[in-house]
Amino acid sequence: MSASALCLCGCAAREVTPVSMSQPGDDALSCDAIAQQIAANGAAEAKYRHDDKEVENGNIAKGVGSAAPFVGPLIAGSTDLSNEEQVKARSLADRNEQLRYLANRKGCGQ
Amino acid sequence: MKKNGISGAAGRLLATAAAAASLAACASSADPHAMAVAPPPAAVNADKAFPQALMHAMCVRAVTGGEKTNPLWVSKVDNDGFKSALGASLDTAGLTAPASGCSYPIDVNLLGLSQPSMGFDMTVTSHVNYKVYNSGGEPYLLATIDAPFTATVGDAFLGVERLKKANEGSIRASIQMFFDKLKDSGRP
Repeated sequence: MSASALCLCGCAAREVTPVSMSQPGDDALSCDAIAQQIAANGAAEAKYRHDDKEVENGNIAKGVGSAAPFVGPLIAGSTDLSNEEQVKARSLADRNEQLRYLANRKGCGQ
Repeated sequence: MKKNGISGAAGRLLATAAAAASLAACASSADPHAMAVAPPPAAVNADKAFPQALMHAMCVRAVTGGEKTNPLWVSKVDNDGFKSALGASLDTAGLTAPASGCSYPIDVNLLGLSQPSMGFDMTVTSHVNYKVYNSGGEPYLLATIDAPFTATVGDAFLGVERLKKANEGSIRASIQMFFDKLKDSGRP
């Protein structure tokens, strides 16, 4: 009973903060700074996409395990539905789209 | 021995039945009507209007990132449902462009929904990127919006239904916050 109560109270989604597409100071970025941000965001995006796959696989395993008697609800409660890695990866992709637009507008790399 | 008028065996039976009912229920997609923003009462936000240039000049061009709901898993929001809800909300606000021309197309990327795995009060936070372009193809407004919404047991007894209501409320809140940003976009 107390395990269930613990689980019900403790199964809220993790707080997730995506990267904003448009950020203050964007217009003042130099071409070098834009290129550095694009590279760093690309690397971070790849890592988040990889981690997202692992979370997804873990959730599938937990979904199967949730059918187990007695411990099933606890396993189901540990499922990670926060989508943190997916949200961050997608937001970084959109951020890079905006940075590429800024680079074009500034004539970077020409 | 009885506690609160329910014997231990009956209590366990009731709890098991509730859990079984909750687990047995199938998840369904969020309802577009429930995600659309309703028109505000005339007196509300009278001082806050959309920029005139946006009136009857917007359309939803593309929605990406949504997910189909697996009935055996949890409720999600799909692209068509989101597009329908945003389109209906634009209609209600008088922002929809005539078929002949859309000056401010909107692209939406549903980054994801942060959902609880279980709980009494279920809070879902939607993370959405709204991209509005002008007729020249330049970004007019780029908004990353995180919108939380909590559904309680009073809203729906079954967990799968409660999560669906939390999803719908979160998208509705997201569209409302997007509208607020559109209203602010016309201010100097």
